[in-house]
Amino acid sequence: MITTAALVVLLPFLAAVAGLLGSRWPRHVRGDHPGGAQTGPERAEAERADLAAGRRAAWIAVVPTAVSAVLAVWLAFTRWAESGHDPGGPFPFEAGGGTPGAVTGTLTVIDTGSVPISLGLLVDGLAATIGVLVTLVALAVQTYSVGYLHGDRRYPSYSAFISLFTSAMLLVVYAADLLVLYVGWEIMGLCSYLLIGHWWEDRANSRAAVKAFLVTRLGDVGFLFGIFVLGTAAGSFRIADVLAAVPGMSSGTVVAATMLLLAGVAGKSAQVPLHTWLPDAMAGPTPISALIHAATMVAAGIFIVARLHPAFLAAGPTLDVLAVLAALGMLGAALAALAQDDLKRVLAYSTISQLAYMAAALAAGSDSAAVFHLVTHGAFKALLFLCAGAVIHAVGSNLMSAMGGLRRELPVTFATMTIGFAALMGLPPASGFFSKDEVLVAVERAVAQGPLTDAAALLLYGSALATVAVTGAYATRAWLRTFFGQRAVVALPEPAPGVAHVIDTREAPATMRWPLIVLAVPALLLGFAGLSGVHWGTAALSVAVALLGAGAVYAVWRSDPLSDPARMLGPFRVPCERAFYADSAYRALFARPVLALARLVVRTDDRVVDGAVRGSGRAALGLSGLVRLTQNGNAQLYVTGLLAGVLLIAVGAVVFG
Amino acid sequence: MHVVYPAVVSALLFSIGVYGVLARRNTILVLMSVELMLNAVNLNLVAFDVWLRDRLHGGQVLTLFVIVIAAAEVGLGLAIILALYRNRRTVDLDRLRALAEPAPGDGAASPAPGRETAARAEETP
Amino acid sequence: MSWLPVLLLAVPLAGAVALLAPSRMDAPSRGRLLRVHGLAVSGVTFALSAVLAATFDYGDPARVQFETDLAWIPGLDLRFHLGVDGISLPLVVLTALLTFLCFVYLCRGRADGPGQLLRPRAGGNRPRALVFTLLVLEVGMIGTFLALDLLLFFVFFEVVLIPMYFVIAVWGGRARRAAAVKFILYTLLGSVVLLLGLLIVWAQAGTLDMVALARAHGTGMSHSVQVVAFVAVGIGLAVKTPMWPLHTWLPDAHTEAPTVGSVLLAGVLLKMGTYGFARIAIPVLPDGAAAVAPWLGAFAVIGIIYGSLACLAQRDLKRMIAYSSIGHMGFVLLGFATLTPVGVNAALFGNIAHGLITGLLFFLAGAVKERYGTADMPALGGGMLSRLPHLGSLLTFACIASLGLPGLAGFWGEMLALLGAFDPAPGLSRPLFLVFMAVGGLGAVLTAAYFLVMLSRVTHGRPTETVHAPVLASSAVAGGSTGQGVAAPAEATGVVRAAGAGGGAHGSGTGGGARGGEPSGGGSGARAAGGGGFRDVMGHELAAWVPLVLLIVLFGLWPKALLLITDPVVRTFMGAP
Repeated sequence: MITTAALVVLLPFLAAVAGLLGSRWPRHVRGDHPGGAQTGPERAEAERADLAAGRRAAWIAVVPTAVSAVLAVWLAFTRWAESGHDPGGPFPFEAGGGTPGAVTGTLTVIDTGSVPISLGLLVDGLAATIGVLVTLVALAVQTYSVGYLHGDRRYPSYSAFISLFTSAMLLVVYAADLLVLYVGWEIMGLCSYLLIGHWWEDRANSRAAVKAFLVTRLGDVGFLFGIFVLGTAAGSFRIADVLAAVPGMSSGTVVAATMLLLAGVAGKSAQVPLHTWLPDAMAGPTPISALIHAATMVAAGIFIVARLHPAFLAAGPTLDVLAVLAALGMLGAALAALAQDDLKRVLAYSTISQLAYMAAALAAGSDSAAVFHLVTHGAFKALLFLCAGAVIHAVGSNLMSAMGGLRRELPVTFATMTIGFAALMGLPPASGFFSKDEVLVAVERAVAQGPLTDAAALLLYGSALATVAVTGAYATRAWLRTFFGQRAVVALPEPAPGVAHVIDTREAPATMRWPLIVLAVPALLLGFAGLSGVHWGTAALSVAVALLGAGAVYAVWRSDPLSDPARMLGPFRVPCERAFYADSAYRALFARPVLALARLVVRTDDRVVDGAVRGSGRAALGLSGLVRLTQNGNAQLYVTGLLAGVLLIAVGAVVFG
Repeated sequence: MHVVYPAVVSALLFSIGVYGVLARRNTILVLMSVELMLNAVNLNLVAFDVWLRDRLHGGQVLTLFVIVIAAAEVGLGLAIILALYRNRRTVDLDRLRALAEPAPGDGAASPAPGRETAARAEETP
Repeated sequence: MSWLPVLLLAVPLAGAVALLAPSRMDAPSRGRLLRVHGLAVSGVTFALSAVLAATFDYGDPARVQFETDLAWIPGLDLRFHLGVDGISLPLVVLTALLTFLCFVYLCRGRADGPGQLLRPRAGGNRPRALVFTLLVLEVGMIGTFLALDLLLFFVFFEVVLIPMYFVIAVWGGRARRAAAVKFILYTLLGSVVLLLGLLIVWAQAGTLDMVALARAHGTGMSHSVQVVAFVAVGIGLAVKTPMWPLHTWLPDAHTEAPTVGSVLLAGVLLKMGTYGFARIAIPVLPDGAAAVAPWLGAFAVIGIIYGSLACLAQRDLKRMIAYSSIGHMGFVLLGFATLTPVGVNAALFGNIAHGLITGLLFFLAGAVKERYGTADMPALGGGMLSRLPHLGSLLTFACIASLGLPGLAGFWGEMLALLGAFDPAPGLSRPLFLVFMAVGGLGAVLTAAYFLVMLSRVTHGRPTETVHAPVLASSAVAGGSTGQGVAAPAEATGVVRAAGAGGGAHGSGTGGGARGGEPSGGGSGARAAGGGGFRDVMGHELAAWVPLVLLIVLFGLWPKALLLITDPVVRTFMGAP
């Protein structure tokens, strides 16, 4: 079983290596740089070579991911069959690495001189479930990308990075040791940097990529320190040992460790203080947004909290903080989503909001609800992004003001995206309905009892209900603005490298269409896995609230189908659109001072530190200049000095001798 | 005769010589002052030789040595001064400063010719 | 008694001496022979080091193996004592490897390729002198890591300085002489202090044998003597490392040195300082180390933050990488300052990783400079990934490795250093070291920031079509050579004097370049041939870089390969079981 897990992790990694090195090998043909003098046949030859490399890279990328997905499914199935799923739970998985059914395998133990690192993998219900989600979404994204980036010269490296990304996420999922997990955790950050910056010709994309990496890395440093605290307290970095040692730790240690871990979680899962990278990450190609937002990077943060949930449960203050952050994040991000004009940014803010739901469930003490929502969200958000990609591919613009009335031109996309939006709003029978219901029930229970303080629980519950309404509103708005009404007549600008290549309002190619259809199935049906656990009272309330939000937007939209329903926000529209000025505040608070400090350091280095060095040199020269003043060439002066010296010695000899 | 008299005379003579070496500007006079100092030493040597009744008369022998060397020195010195005069048209010691370190920035201000031979490339690190 | 360490020193030395023989061949065949010679000598040395690594007994890395112990100056009880153990073995191999790769880089390329300092050019760029200097440098570097006698260590430590001075001063960039003078004065000053410290140890302990001293663990030296000796030795080594605020020679030297000089300077010379900490300062003077460790840690984390911030505002690529070395060496010193086995392991790991990564980075920066004619980032203009895709990709890889991405070599050193700071040795103030850890973590973020900003500026964006005509034109005229004032016949004698009589040769060797008008950056002949587009990574460059890339990935994915051999030694040194 561990060998299978290792294969699941390693196959995409090998695919990445092969894709990076092997796509153009052995022919090694490479189009010369543009702008150089190229004749027509040469250019055609280069293009043909590019296409061939792209085809080969597609095979290298898709096949190992598919094998990996099959293995992951098999792994999950055997786990499920072996352990016999818990009939009481809403969803077949067990929490924590310490559960008896978990299988671990250790390759080797590295002595560091302190707490050793064990290179090993762990397969339990949680890992197996998330593993299936990751590999399936990655497979869908890889297949979709073949069509989406058809003809892109850099497709080989792009698909290789996706493979690496998948491999890193799988390493996080299956890791048995916190530091091994951290390795995968950081490699994901790198891959997001490389992929968000795929169209690096545009400076804005490059900046977005840098921002994504830096913000997540800031959180990761806290995460690493949290691992240190847990690892040194437990004397081992193995997850099972750490969880076993948690009851024996002092509460201060646990709170410190979980708070530090929370920093990493906030960074990777785009929770409130560190969420700003995610909307900017939309600069990447749309499949990447789907991958990052649905299955991998953002899921990693929720996953790690679920993985270490016993430790978090032992740290009440951390859960309170998590609850407050989640409450702020879900409502704020949903409001921001309501005001965006860029379709992908709407989805990005909705991701922040949905992740905050999962964080809310975790804070309320129900990791099963969080993971359930994580899985359904993974399915429907991947679907939504891929649909958005299809729409953008067809329209040639990210902006909803350039869309409208697309339901006739893009019937397949319309149908699948409708399912996605329904799941996002939590309307039955889509999967989101069941998982959101689970989350709400968990939060509701936390008000009465549970690890949270009352104030935090109440805030969380109120915020969750309000967010359901706002979610309904922004989902309806995006749906109406995209597929209904009339297409606004706007002169399209020259397509920037950040948008699709072909402007052709037609259904996308098959490699793009099929992933949509395949993903629509779980987005619609996955929820029935949790059918037995539905609490109809809460469910009715949430559906009613969601429909209320949707209805309000519909009413506003009906009155004037061409203008943006976001106008109902009134004076709050601009702050919402700017996401409450978080970006500007961070820039003013952190980026600028750091840069100013950097310039100060350079000046200091030149003037003070190096100035002292150069100054000592100059002082030596200056002193020698003083001495050489006496060398004025007058022999009589020299003789006078000589005589004075002789006299001094003589007097000295007489006096002291 | 008590040894004090020649000793005092020689000390006076030596002092005059020192004064001349240190204060006179004319190179010839400086040379003559050096001669005075040498002769002051000679006087001392002879006087003490007599006073100490040295059997080997080392003082007197040494005096002869000094006289010979002084003669050679004067010959050489005058020759140098003559060459100097031919080159520079002056025997003023204050204006003969070729030995000086060139101060930064006054390389051209100095009147002494031949200085540029001492100038070297300055290297500022 | 083993001949292997002696051979490791003798082969490059003999290779250097053989160059002194006069030859009557014509210039092209002499140049060819010279390249073969350099490649062969460094290759044999590398092969010897590989044999050393292969026959090393990994079961007991804490024991000194391949020991050679001969009387050297019996009157002073100085011994010619060489040997290898777990902490010196990786450094010896790294040194031999990097020198070999430098020769590969210099020897394998075509005449019109960039960085070909060994190709004869108009005006004479003194290829023979370069080969001689590099071989002597290799003797000194390997000797430093092999020496087990304090004064022998010091001698080799000093032997390195002079060739490096000439590498910078003769084959360097525009402001090379000032940089070279600063380098040698600064490091000599450090060496004097180091010598004082070593003499204190000698006077107090009565022996110069490092093995015996390490075994004695500071017994026989009073606390105050240990502190004084540690401060003296520490300052001497810290100049070489370099530790903030003794670092200012480094950016200048790196910026002006030719590519091979930068690579060896960053890859090996800096390691000599940190190796000294692991080999001498901490095991021999444990009490002194415990007293000074908080200060060492403080300077280390200041260096981390300071270096990172300085990088953030740099314009020059090579200078930025030089400052990044200060930050990375800060992590290494932080590891030492914790005085824990994990910290020292981290430092040794970080040492090797930094040697590989920064060596690669300087190779790449040199390649960039030779192609664009400048390393000024605004002048580079961006778009390297589309203009030179392979070079841009390699630069991205090296930067990512350098910013400490897990899975690549740079990570483990940093991570373990922070882990060591989280739980420092008993007797050290834990809150203080927690602050150090937090600051170090911030430094890691800043490190990522400056590398990514640099990548964004240089590799991303659209290429600008500006051609930096003045620099390129002058380099075409000058033929990429330096020291043109010296005529070709003077070359051979110039070498002899260069090796023998430091200062005098400096005047004659470097005076020419200054008077020869506009000396260009070391051998920027990239554009001399075509004048057309830039050429992407070439065969000889790839041959020199790929081994580094592979090792970076290997140590990143399998850190045990290094920790396996350093950990037992470190435990012995730290007195742990």
